[in-house]
Formats: sequence, C-alpha cells, structure tokens
Amino acid sequence: MCPLMQSYWFGDIADNGQCQPFTGDMNAMVSRIRFLSARMDTHIPLVWEQAVSCGVCAGREDYLARLQAICIAAAGKGIREHYAGKDAELLQMVRMLDEMDEVINLLSERAADWYMVRHPAFSRKYRRTPASILVRTMRENSRGALLKVAGEIEQLAETRTALAKEVSARANDVMPNTSALIGGLVAARLMSRAGGLLPLSRLPASAIQVLGAKTALFAHLRTNTPSPKHGIIFQHRRVHNAPREIRGKVARVLAGKLAIAARLDYFRGKAAPEFLAEAQERIDAAGKGGEI
Amino acid sequence: MIWIGDVLVSQGEGGVYNERMLGGARVWEPYRSKLAALYHVGKGVELVPSMRVLYLGAANGTTVSHVADYTEVVYAVEFAPRPVQDLIEVARRRKNVIPIMADATRPETYAPLVEEVDLVYQDVAQPDQAAIAVRNSVFLKPAGSYILMLKTRSVDARKDPEAVYSETLAVLLSAGFTIVETVWLSPYHQDHAAIVCTKPLA
Repeated sequence: MCPLMQSYWFGDIADNGQCQPFTGDMNAMVSRIRFLSARMDTHIPLVWEQAVSCGVCAGREDYLARLQAICIAAAGKGIREHYAGKDAELLQMVRMLDEMDEVINLLSERAADWYMVRHPAFSRKYRRTPASILVRTMRENSRGALLKVAGEIEQLAETRTALAKEVSARANDVMPNTSALIGGLVAARLMSRAGGLLPLSRLPASAIQVLGAKTALFAHLRTNTPSPKHGIIFQHRRVHNAPREIRGKVARVLAGKLAIAARLDYFRGKAAPEFLAEAQERIDAAGKGGEI
Repeated sequence: MIWIGDVLVSQGEGGVYNERMLGGARVWEPYRSKLAALYHVGKGVELVPSMRVLYLGAANGTTVSHVADYTEVVYAVEFAPRPVQDLIEVARRRKNVIPIMADATRPETYAPLVEEVDLVYQDVAQPDQAAIAVRNSVFLKPAGSYILMLKTRSVDARKDPEAVYSETLAVLLSAGFTIVETVWLSPYHQDHAAIVCTKPLA
C-alpha cells in the first residue's frame, strides 16, 4: 500500500490524485468503514467533491444520503455486536433484580403502614418477622384493595426469587471465576456497577474493593473521614462474617483476587481451577487473620 | 438564532422527544440542552444554513436535532450503544444527521467519514476534554469555531470547577487555540462551562 494513499469511506485516493472507488455492497462497505483507520499525522481531510469525481455519487444530496445510509448500517451493526456479548443481558437482569428489591421494600413498608391503621393493636416491634411473612399476614387479615396489594407484593417477591436464581446461573456461566470466588449474585452486581465485563476486567483491585461505596469514598476524598473498606463485596459472607478488625484486610485480599478473576473471565471465559484453588486458600488465610 | 420573545426555537419536524412547539417551531430548552443554555447566557456561535458541524458526544440526538434544524449537515459522534439507538432514530427522520458510532478520543476512526467543518461542538463526559479538543481540531476549517462544553465534574469530581476550568483553558491556549468567549452555564447547568474558541493555526 502506498504510504501517502488516503482512504475514505467511498474509496482510496493515491498521492497522484487517482481515485479508486470502493465497489463492494452495503455489507462490505459497512465492514470497510468500521475498520478503516486514518493516520492522523498524514491525514488529508476528506473533500466530498472527490466522491463525485470518483464516480461514487452524483452530487451533494446524493453524497450525504449514501454516507448516512452506510453510517446508520454501521452503527446498527455496532449496537448488535455490543448486545450480543453475554454480559449485556446479565447486566439488565441484575439491574432489574436490584430495582425489584427496592420496589418490594417500598411497597411492603407502605402496606405495613396502611395495615397498622386498620389494626391499631398491630406493631412490628419485638417481633422478628421476616418481611415475606409480614406481607402474608397482612394479606390473610385484609380485605379489598389492601388484600390485593399484599397479594401483588407476594407475586412480585416470587418473581424476584426466580429472577435471582436466573441471575446466579447466568453469572456462573458468563463470569465463572468471579462467581466462584464471591457467588453469582454479587459477581453480577460488581459487573453491573462497573458497566460490563470488559470495564470490570479493566478495574484495578483497589477500585473493585470499594465498588458500590461511592458516597463513602467521596466523603473520604473530600473530607478526612476514614476510607471505605468495602462496597458491594461486603455482601459476600467472607467479608461480612469476618471480625471487624480484619474485615478490611479480607476485603482487600478478596478484591485483589477478584480483579484477576474478572480478567480471566473476560479474556479466557472459562473457569481456571488452579487459580481458584490458590485464591480461595489465600482469601481463607486472610480471614483467619494470617500474616499478609 | 431564532427567538420567539425570549424563547429559543428551531425550525424543523417536531415530536423528536416530545418537545414543546411554539408557533410551529420547536422549543429548544436551555435547562435540557447545554448549547441552548449557551445561547441564553452568552453569545455562542450563530448557526447558519450553510454550516457543516461535527458534534462529539451526540448522546440521544436531542440537541443534535436542533442543531440539524439550523445547519446543512451534522456529523454526530457517540460511543455508547444505548444512546446510539436513539440517535439512529433521529437520523432516519433527518436527512442531514450522519450518526457515527465512534469514540471521540480516537478521531482516526472517523476521519475517513468526516469532511472539514465550520463548527465542532464537543460535549463529552471524559476526563481529558481539552486533549480531545486538540485532537479533533484537525476537522476544523481555518475560520471555523470550536465549542467545548466543559463538564468539570467529569474531569475531576474532587477538584474545584474553577481550577479545572483554568487548567483546561491553559491546555487549549498552549495548543494554539484562540479563546473567543467563556461563560458558565449556571443557572441552567451546574459546574459546566462553555468555551468558544477558534482553530490553532497549523
């Protein structure tokens, strides 16, 4: 290829001004422009009239119409490819799950307030009633709209449970290493917070450690509050079950291994048993307060 | 720019995002669009029918649609897939919007598509906004203008917006840009500054 040849979407122009129009069909054109890359130091800006003299289009209107059609097709292809990634659906699934949790909580709280008006003797104090049982009690003792609302909340909770199972299973498939270390649900949440598997795999361990602790992190950076020890990874039992003094240490070690696991998941896509065995051992050692 | 009283509007097919119509024209809300805010608080750059525009950070194509009402063609660059879906929809209804799914930090990927333009408008949520401006100034005609909407919080959420702003100005000046106008977009947008400049001479 001639070093000074300029490539544009409609064709290539040699340094003697000779234009070689691109003759492929729409598909070929789309592939061409998606992988075309100019050398900015020697780039000569596109002059649309050259497309006319090259015989690609008739005039300005035709030029823009063709370019637009090709760009729309190329962008459409880019979107389809992005959504074809296995993590794209998992991301939506886990966000829906978290949203449902929030909605279920809100509705249960409101329903409980309503229920207390109808049953002045009712109080939630000194009772360790799980929310699901509470909603069932409300449904059984209510009539009319409140009965229906309580029924809907229960339905929603059932759907939520089913979705959580699916998220977990999908995460095991899409991010086997991360899921093995921290469980499918939490792994999926990490991925969702990072914005996808690729962005997660690019995060340093220190960022993974505090992913989801944005408020605390910025409070720390702005003022002199202590730095957050953990974000989403706190949800994992090895972090929240660890004694307070070593919780930060466990979180740090776990995050370190998660950063490696996410990269394995993105680049290799399957479980790496040796890495996992070594990592589990290491995290367990940190949990026992071992020397780091 | 077209004003009906103190309302900025653009002339074109409505219904893009349920925008309000006024006397058959599309109301261009300053609280919603940073470029509209610039026309409210400052001078900006007069958009005219002969203009070719490169728009970096096109997002859902809301502001793009207004710019396209005024100008000949808008090359709308956006990287995130979700907003590009909307941008494509806008392009289907407007002959002069060319949607380009590309990263504004990598002009080499869209240089084979974009001709020289009269105006580059940059509204990207990136930390290196000044560097992006420097790189994309190659698309500007010698007499063209560059509007940089500086999202100071994207550069560094911890730093004082004023500090980010003066650092950005310094980078632009040292790259040879001539600063024409700078203005903060408050009360319409918080911590956003508009910087209007002209091309560095090669």
